Amino acid sequence: MPKIIIDGREIECRPGIPVLQAALEAGFDIPHYCYHPGLKIVASCRLCLMEMKMPHPKTQEPVWAPKLVPSCQTPVKDGLEVRFNSDAVRQNQKHVMEYYLLNHPLDCPVCDKAGECYLQDYTEQFGPAASRMVEEKTKNPKKDIGPHTLLYQDRCVLCSRCVRFTEEISGTGELTVVNRGNRGEIDVFPGRPLDNPLQGNVVDLCPVGALLDKDFLFKQRVWLLRSTKSVSPADSRGATIWIDHNDGRIHRIRPRFNEKVNEWWISDEARFGWKYVHAENRLRAPSGRGRGPADPARPLAGRVPLAWEAVPARVRVILGEAAARGGGAGVAAVLSPMMSCEEAWLLASLVRGMAPAATLVPGFVPVVGQDQTFPKGFVIKAEKCPNLRGIETILAHVGGPQATWNEFLGRAAEGAFDAAYVVGGYPDASWVTPAVAAALARIDGCILHDLFPSAAAATAELLLPAASWAEREGTFMNCDGLVQAFERAIPPLEGVKADGQVLHELGGRPGLFRAEAVRAEAAAAVPALGAVFVPRDLPPHAH
Amino acid sequence: MAFERVLMRNVGVSGSTSLEVYRRSGGYEGAARALRMKPDELVELVKSANLRGRGGAGFPAGVKWSFLPKDRQVTYLCVNADESEPPTFCNRVLIDHDPHMLLEGILIAGYATRTTVAYIYMRGEFTEQFHTLQRALDEAYAAGYFGKNILGSGYDLECYVHRGAGAYVCGEETGLIESLEGKRGWPRIKPPFPAVEGAFHQPTVVNNVETLACLPHILTRGLEWWHSVGTPNSKGPKMFCISGPVNRPGCYEAPLGISCRELIYSPDFGGGMRNGEKVKAVFPGGLSMGVLRGDVFPQRPAGSPIDVTQDYDELDCLLDFDDPRNYDLLGLGTAAAVVVPESADIRDVLVNVARFYAMESCGQCTQCREGTAWMYKIAQRIRAGAGRPVDLDLIVEVTKNMGMMPGLSICGLPDGAAWPLRTLVQKFRREFERHIAAQDPDAPRRRIVRTNPAAYTLPVLQGRAEVMPGGTFYEPENHPELELRA
Repeated sequence: MPKIIIDGREIECRPGIPVLQAALEAGFDIPHYCYHPGLKIVASCRLCLMEMKMPHPKTQEPVWAPKLVPSCQTPVKDGLEVRFNSDAVRQNQKHVMEYYLLNHPLDCPVCDKAGECYLQDYTEQFGPAASRMVEEKTKNPKKDIGPHTLLYQDRCVLCSRCVRFTEEISGTGELTVVNRGNRGEIDVFPGRPLDNPLQGNVVDLCPVGALLDKDFLFKQRVWLLRSTKSVSPADSRGATIWIDHNDGRIHRIRPRFNEKVNEWWISDEARFGWKYVHAENRLRAPSGRGRGPADPARPLAGRVPLAWEAVPARVRVILGEAAARGGGAGVAAVLSPMMSCEEAWLLASLVRGMAPAATLVPGFVPVVGQDQTFPKGFVIKAEKCPNLRGIETILAHVGGPQATWNEFLGRAAEGAFDAAYVVGGYPDASWVTPAVAAALARIDGCILHDLFPSAAAATAELLLPAASWAEREGTFMNCDGLVQAFERAIPPLEGVKADGQVLHELGGRPGLFRAEAVRAEAAAAVPALGAVFVPRDLPPHAH
Repeated sequence: MAFERVLMRNVGVSGSTSLEVYRRSGGYEGAARALRMKPDELVELVKSANLRGRGGAGFPAGVKWSFLPKDRQVTYLCVNADESEPPTFCNRVLIDHDPHMLLEGILIAGYATRTTVAYIYMRGEFTEQFHTLQRALDEAYAAGYFGKNILGSGYDLECYVHRGAGAYVCGEETGLIESLEGKRGWPRIKPPFPAVEGAFHQPTVVNNVETLACLPHILTRGLEWWHSVGTPNSKGPKMFCISGPVNRPGCYEAPLGISCRELIYSPDFGGGMRNGEKVKAVFPGGLSMGVLRGDVFPQRPAGSPIDVTQDYDELDCLLDFDDPRNYDLLGLGTAAAVVVPESADIRDVLVNVARFYAMESCGQCTQCREGTAWMYKIAQRIRAGAGRPVDLDLIVEVTKNMGMMPGLSICGLPDGAAWPLRTLVQKFRREFERHIAAQDPDAPRRRIVRTNPAAYTLPVLQGRAEVMPGGTFYEPENHPELELRA
């Protein structure tokens, strides 16, 4: 571990990193724009310059070199001594900050980035109080560069992070710098918009308000948002994310650094895949089957609303009656890969407890296309569910009669099951194909726990509204067996209970569902479930 | 011993671009001699000749070659023919009249550095020269001076002419390499230096056209001749360009170390000023090196030391690699002098110089990108008769905060932008002040209010920008007198 001295303080740092990274990790607030640990170093913003001690050419004694040196470009070396708190460094920061604002429109009041903008922060902290430029500002245009992204070129500081991202991480190279000097602009090639599956990251990467997300445009001032740590359910890799929400509504999703999975990035699927949480047609109350015939086109018509208090008894009756017949071979439980490990644990124990011969089934796994791997190793999985491995792990531990989803459907269609607890929780109702609906319709005591009304919901004996992942807490085990925890960002929809709480009450457990307690219980039996991975925190001043 | 032209010996000779004419005057003899030596001996020879790069920086070519790693497999030689420094045209004349001299130089340098492929990166605007050089290269290939087993020595060298697309910054060696690789001509961060990792990630030497053209003569005429030309630290002949209102503008060959006055007034070179005008200013080494005061200023009293803060005639500056530094110039540069006559308005010169760098800054480093454009705007306002004395301080301050020398940029372009602008403002400050004193006192305010109303009407800025002296930033605690009265 090399030791270097920054501003007179000795710090130990990881070998091979730039001085800037070491300084940030040690808690120094060093202004920087172009440097990003995930991208190639270009050392062009010239804001992170520092003074460095170098051997004097004649005496070989270490003295402060007259030149400033970019700290992002200088690797740490044992015994290196640098300083940021000198006049020369401060003067340079002032000059650079003045330059950045020469042609900037100063339109913070209408800028989405205001509040988390490093042009604002650094100007406040390192810049001069007023500009000395009295000339007319150069005006650069606003551009629509892709289906999700707008470019406000007049706010750009030309750090080229976005350009490097499309070159290095997504490997698609849509963005480039055109023109020279201060007429330089970020642009796309004609007819080739910014539309790669990772493009949303350029908005996070942009240190200023130049690249903005159309989805979030003018929606919220960022200081009103609260951020919750979560894990994306978009695919089986389980990218760690921040859910930014306010007043019970999600407003955007940002990547959360994770050295083992997604590093600094997320896919657009993960970024924009939260809209279903606020869909109008979500199920909002438990209901029982009505007297009349079910109508798949209007699944909720004629259903009998049910109070949550009546649900546990009803479930026990349905499952208990079926379990009493034939030793419980007619009972099944479908554990959706959208469930958390804790919920799956509760359901599996509940069903196994009531009917030891019950068949446990890992639920439908949505697969779209093939795994997509990007140049630097970012992967978008074809499996669009977060917890298949977790479900499999729990089922492997629980043992007993089991079936695959297709076997279950086949046997259900033959009328093999009297009762089943089927969990859905997918972002839409498309998993209920006509075949699935027909098979589930053959199960008399079908308890369906799902987000959206579907043909299966019409025929279900008992229909329970589920909560989305943002309204729950728990852990997902990703495709590589990594267990990661997500927290509850927003309260469940009115009338809806978090799935964990429902299963907790069904199991007759007292009090409130706490994922941690259930996890501890599960981990006692399956230690893998307790090994929750927590990503390293980013240094406080890095961006 | 009278000076004998060598670099330009074939200028004016009929058919001088052909291999036959070149060979008649001893062409490719130097190369033949070089191929009989060992590469390392050649490097030592060039080192002991102290051949300093003719491209502008004056870095010794032999030393540059010796930076190449010893265990390299592939080496590239890039010939910098992207001659874009205003008002320079030495390389163009050389390629126009004697392309084989360059090719022979490439062969010698290539052999010395064990280069396998040489690229001639040619300025995009050189259309005629491209065809001339390509024809000469084809001839040389046909005669066996390029290709496999050159002159039976077992040495192979391929050579290609690559045309640029018209960017000043592509004359910077790493910008050139990026451009050669097909990318945007943005200079690279160093280290790694090109000698270690250059074109296509391989060790690369970048040399100027004229530097290479000197090599055949060092080999044929020997070190003794070479050392007899020039001044102690600046050896050899050099091509000088002179342009502006002189009687004989053009390109001339002379030993290093002639004075600027000689270049302008000698009947062999500039031949004096047209219409007997006096010289107001001269940029002796291409724009980027800075400006000298001309002979409209009085002579420095005999025996007094050089003092650039005083308004004295500075035409006695010797054009070699060292003397210009005494006159607050960056160096010899490309040795292309442009003369500004006494009738010219110095404000026009300022705008012209500032515009060039604002247009040509590549836009990578903040200080250069924004600073050059800002100075251009200031210069335009000064020329429009709305300058303020603080603008002069501001320009000096901006120029001192850019460039590679204080470590504030990736390449040397901003140094080249800072030097002429700063020396112009500093050396001709009294003339600028005369113009400002003569203009309508309310003009700056009127113009500023028209172009940037915020500077006066926004309460937070109100008038402060106008009174901020150069060299200081506005900070409320330092300027209580500027606080608004509630």
